[in-house]
Amino acid sequence: MARASTPQGHLTAPSRTGALLSLTAALVWPAQAALIAAVFAGLLSGAPTISPLIAAAGFFTLAALRAGLEAAAQRKLARAAEAVIATARHQIVQTESHAASSSSLGNAGALAALATDKLEALRPYLLRYRPARLRSMVMPLVILAIALWYGWAVAVVLLLAGPLIPLFMALVGWAAKEASARQMVEIGQLSDLLIDRLAALSDLRLIGAGPAAIEGFHAASESLRHRTMAVLRIAFLSSTVLELFSALGVAMVAVWVGFALLGEVGWGTWGTPLSPFGGMFLLLLAPEFFQPLRDLAAAWHDKAGAEAVLAELADYEAEDRPGLPGHDLPATGQPPAGPIAWRGLVARRGGVLIRYPDAVIAPGARIAITGPSGAGKTTLLRLLAGLDLPAEGTLHVGATALSEAHLPDWRAGLGWMPQAPHFLDRSLRQNIGFGRPLPETVLDQAQLGPVIAALPKGLNTVLGERGAGLSGGEARRVTLARALAAGQRVLLADEPTADLDPDTAAAVTAGLLDFAAAGGTLILATHDPALIARVDQVIALGPEEATP
Amino acid sequence: MKPLLRIIRLLIRADRRAIAIGLLLSIVVLAMGAALLGLSGWFITASAAAGMAGLGTLFNFFAPSAMVRFLALGRTAARYGERLTTHDAVLRALGALRLRLLRGLLAQPYRATERLRAASVLNRVTADVDALDGALLRLVLPGLAGAAVIVLAAALVGWLVHPLVGAWVGAGYLLGPNLVFLAGQHRARRPSREAEAALQATRNRLVEMITAREDLTVYGQIPAARSRTLEAGARHGAARTRLDRIERRTGFALDLIGGGVTAGALGLGARLAEAGQITPAAAAISVFVALALAEAIAPIRRALTEIGRMAQAARRVEPALALPAAARSTTQLEPRPALHLEALGYAPRPGAPSLFAPLSATIAPGKTVALTGASGLGKSTVLLMAAGALTPSSGRVTLGGTDVATLAPETLHHTLVMVPQRHALIAGTIAENLRLAAPEASETELWQALEATCLADTIRARGGLEARLGPRGAGLSGGQARRLALARALLRRPAVLLLDEPTEGLDADTAARVLAGMRAALPEAAILIAAHRKVERDVATRMLQLRHSPA
Repeated sequence: MARASTPQGHLTAPSRTGALLSLTAALVWPAQAALIAAVFAGLLSGAPTISPLIAAAGFFTLAALRAGLEAAAQRKLARAAEAVIATARHQIVQTESHAASSSSLGNAGALAALATDKLEALRPYLLRYRPARLRSMVMPLVILAIALWYGWAVAVVLLLAGPLIPLFMALVGWAAKEASARQMVEIGQLSDLLIDRLAALSDLRLIGAGPAAIEGFHAASESLRHRTMAVLRIAFLSSTVLELFSALGVAMVAVWVGFALLGEVGWGTWGTPLSPFGGMFLLLLAPEFFQPLRDLAAAWHDKAGAEAVLAELADYEAEDRPGLPGHDLPATGQPPAGPIAWRGLVARRGGVLIRYPDAVIAPGARIAITGPSGAGKTTLLRLLAGLDLPAEGTLHVGATALSEAHLPDWRAGLGWMPQAPHFLDRSLRQNIGFGRPLPETVLDQAQLGPVIAALPKGLNTVLGERGAGLSGGEARRVTLARALAAGQRVLLADEPTADLDPDTAAAVTAGLLDFAAAGGTLILATHDPALIARVDQVIALGPEEATP
Repeated sequence: MKPLLRIIRLLIRADRRAIAIGLLLSIVVLAMGAALLGLSGWFITASAAAGMAGLGTLFNFFAPSAMVRFLALGRTAARYGERLTTHDAVLRALGALRLRLLRGLLAQPYRATERLRAASVLNRVTADVDALDGALLRLVLPGLAGAAVIVLAAALVGWLVHPLVGAWVGAGYLLGPNLVFLAGQHRARRPSREAEAALQATRNRLVEMITAREDLTVYGQIPAARSRTLEAGARHGAARTRLDRIERRTGFALDLIGGGVTAGALGLGARLAEAGQITPAAAAISVFVALALAEAIAPIRRALTEIGRMAQAARRVEPALALPAAARSTTQLEPRPALHLEALGYAPRPGAPSLFAPLSATIAPGKTVALTGASGLGKSTVLLMAAGALTPSSGRVTLGGTDVATLAPETLHHTLVMVPQRHALIAGTIAENLRLAAPEASETELWQALEATCLADTIRARGGLEARLGPRGAGLSGGQARRLALARALLRRPAVLLLDEPTEGLDADTAARVLAGMRAALPEAAILIAAHRKVERDVATRMLQLRHSPA
């Protein structure tokens, strides 16, 4: 697998500039505070030094500077976040487009969730948490230093209110993490419950169970609410401690500053009494001591969510998944032609080796591969389609030994009817022809007329995954039409008539034989006697062919 | 916007009292925050003035300093209460919205609910409902509380400081943010809609590419599928970038408004103080209150980027919330009515010919009729019409002489039950799944039903009735899930039972025993089977052949 730079690697460089800009924006505030303090000191002294107009203009300029820096920071951070997400998404799509095995992380739905909703969880983390963390590491120290310049009282208050910042931080983290984690789980459960009931709703109403199911949902959602609230009562209590400390801190600063200015207290400064400017300045700075910590706490659940996603991404990238044979190789436009032949062909399925009898299949022949289940019929078709590579031996088409490089050309003329076909959430027309023009004969040969007529928008009906509903027989005819539309030379079909009612089985058989009559090579894995009776050659696989 | 307003009204109605208390506490929190800063500013400036005048001992500092402490503690307590009440209210509202959605969907035509089985539709509906969750917590409560506090604060500043300053603060904070909100939400609507659509498309296309990977490989369609997925992803990225920009500009505008109002309050206050019209301490109140109110307008930024998504979700969800106006007739049925199909026909589209030749039959109590015919011809459709879920395009279905279309759903399903091809199991225990059909059923009755469908031993081995199933009944094999769905239908003891390919996925021997067990459990029921296998035809007392339309 080609390893692009990891998302973790992306987390550093571009977003650091953004975080620094955000810190610079926060550092503008002391200047704004100083301006306000200077204005009031002037007013109190009775000899204003700054004219009201200049004060207002100055303050607004500083505010605009701060806002501009913050916007620039957000711009950098948003770009960095989008880059991280786009890279990770691209990598998942790329890997999934050619992986030969499924991921251990889960099914298609789980991977799609990872590539969409879960990656989106990185965005708030990159936009909010990381700059908040930088501010929380720098701003309290800056403000503490300013407070120490004026005296020790405010510094002590701040230190007491935020008792040894690391401890404080641990408390913040514990509180917020608990709240968000539990709450997210519970709300997620409500969504899962809703999905579960909605998916079953149409069928439940047929047994008259709709009202009972709704009643059950109501009870479940109420009990979920009670449990969530019990958790939140505790979780919010812990984060309230954070608010309490910061509110008390500011209040104590205000009271001390007030008393100091009144001359009621003489302690707390380095000898010189506190000036009105100093008092006002300290009061304006005190909330900013706590603000970065509160921002960080608010962004905490962004961090918890993002870390889970990053861990999952790391697991995903660590997986070693081989690619499907021949993926992303160019086609030359010259498909191999001639008889299909193999000698000494051996396939590996799980830990078992399957040895196939030698065979030569002339162009235009009708072949049935028979044998008990487990004998390797499907595996042989997969070898012929190039979905698996032989463990030993080689498939030849005419003079060409089919290697990975030939697979794109070989597949270009291949029709493929697997037992469990997958349809796309697109129109029936797209599902059959993949956007190529669809000859009328293909629809006739597959006897799709009645199926199309029964669909609300005919060929343009969009097939939902299960919703719009093709029955087993209808799906088989669509698969046949798809194979006929693509396969000019060879058609591979796995149990094309299994589990079908007699009418549909006859229709599918007729379609397949028409293909052979027009000169195509037909290779069927089947145990349907009616179908076996119509072929030119039978390749019988016995259970003895499979050896461990 | 109208659908969103109607949904917000619905959310509020879920528990008006809790939401009113939550709103009140939100206002208290913001108001106390503004009061705390305003009072502190006044206290310090007044103290400094008194100290400089040498009047420190005469200054009553106890009341304001006690007030500062009270506000600090009270704000924290109010904040705790606000968080609890709003979250409780929101959780109630969320539950109510989902419940209403389920009720509404249940009243929709069968075909509409059927579409919910498609993962893409299901994902969209649940994503829409999730998007509406933020409406109260991020739109309504902060908006109302913010506006109330701004008005209150402006009035107080006007009274305590100077009417001019009060007017400036009130006008600045009410007009500016509202203009930003109106302009921004108009601009954010489209990218927010596009971002959501592209995200859904990315998800669906990726799922498709993964599940159909091998088929697509053989057909050489992987590059096309991959670029379709990447294209949707890129579209999402572009829409998100536009949204981020709008959010950023909104934030910038709000920061400027906060800065501008404070700067104005500072300039005005200073000028009035210089002129001797107000004291410097009063001027401090206005500056500090203006600073504090920035907190009240901050939520606009977040709300803006979400409102487009919410409005779109509301537009799609709202129609599904409609409940049927009036109950249908109260006609009662005889205990064991016969089912009559009278020249039934079904056209997939208005004006199209019927899928099959007109079908007439009577299924009498105690009889089993097998409906046969080529797949795709409409056997399931016939059963759905018999169950009253689809309306025939011609002919009618009657139960003991009453047209099923005129029966209330409760009456109909008391008598008639249909088991569709798909097994609609839910996450929960075996007993919960069974009791969906018969909430009052005793454990003995549950076991009897499981015995009848040859599932009792399997369930016992899995830990009995309290064994848990995953979402959609995950954990049972296809055949076991099928038999559980059949057992559930038996528990309703219907007089008419419609079975759509009931033994799919069962071996012939088990299939025969299940069918015999069901007949033994309901000896007098009229049973109509859309038959697909020989074993299903073998138990029938009569065959009913569905034929192609003569046309």
